[in-house]
Amino acid sequence: MKKILFGLFAVVSIGLLVWAFELAVNAPAEMMQGDAYRIIFYHVPSAMVAFLFFAISMAGSIGFLVLREKSLAKALAWDAWAVSGAQVGIVFCTVVLITGPLWGYRAWGIWWAWDARLTTTLLLWLIYVSYLLTRRFAAGPQMRTSSAVLGIFGGIGVPIVYVANRIPGQHPGPVFGGDRASGMDPVILRPFLWNIAAWMCWGILVLILRHQFELKQQAIAAHEAEQSLNA
Amino acid sequence: MKKAVAQFAALVPIALLIWALYSLYSAPAEPPADWRLHMTQEQHDLMVAPIDHAFRVAAYAVTWAIQLGYLAWLAMRWSGQKPVAGRK
Repeated sequence: MKKILFGLFAVVSIGLLVWAFELAVNAPAEMMQGDAYRIIFYHVPSAMVAFLFFAISMAGSIGFLVLREKSLAKALAWDAWAVSGAQVGIVFCTVVLITGPLWGYRAWGIWWAWDARLTTTLLLWLIYVSYLLTRRFAAGPQMRTSSAVLGIFGGIGVPIVYVANRIPGQHPGPVFGGDRASGMDPVILRPFLWNIAAWMCWGILVLILRHQFELKQQAIAAHEAEQSLNA
Repeated sequence: MKKAVAQFAALVPIALLIWALYSLYSAPAEPPADWRLHMTQEQHDLMVAPIDHAFRVAAYAVTWAIQLGYLAWLAMRWSGQKPVAGRK
């Protein structure tokens, strides 16, 4: 039953992505930026998904730290969400960090500026890369604890990145909830919202796959530990 | 078999990445700044439209290269996992 539901969700997600792509490429061209503004349909939703998954990673890290001495099985379940959220979040954050300069070069004439939003996003990405490197190379039982602490620091970075574009700089201010000049034309808003929905579904799909993979990894590690104890 | 399929799937993101780079490399150069003095806004927009298009194509192709590349990497690791004996 779970497999059927997952299959249905996968079909809906891919269908949504195709539909959202169709809307993105057929949206009317923007007066100042021409075709290049359409990068917004991939850049901004990817940032939203990355932020959400980093928050999931932080929740997983907190859960692991709280439960690690009470119930190891439950703590490991939280840890699986923490590592899955961090890894898939990095994938989306990488998309943001590559599509951003491509768009920036056409809009500003430069690839990169060390303004608050861009710099904090890069720092957030580096924190989560160090999270994954800790998990990959740190040895011993403290590996999960150390990475959970890093995961919490990364999660604290998300709201800082979110508000960073309120500091005047190269990156434009908030499109929603900003000053009077903020907002989006309804003709562009519709494909934008569809792209957010599509990338959110795709992200959740990849996150579920990564979580299943992590659970299997944990089962293999537990089985190997059991075997070596019996030997 | 599963591993071979996953390895073949890894070719798609590589192809997308090459497409993105080709799109940027083959984009026409930006018209010199002093040309703007002698052309209308419409003429300028027409000149830069292929460059904007190339950057948009590159951004979309890179996005899919990263997403599908990650999925292919995950599939390869998944297919390489040892089966757990006595468990479903």
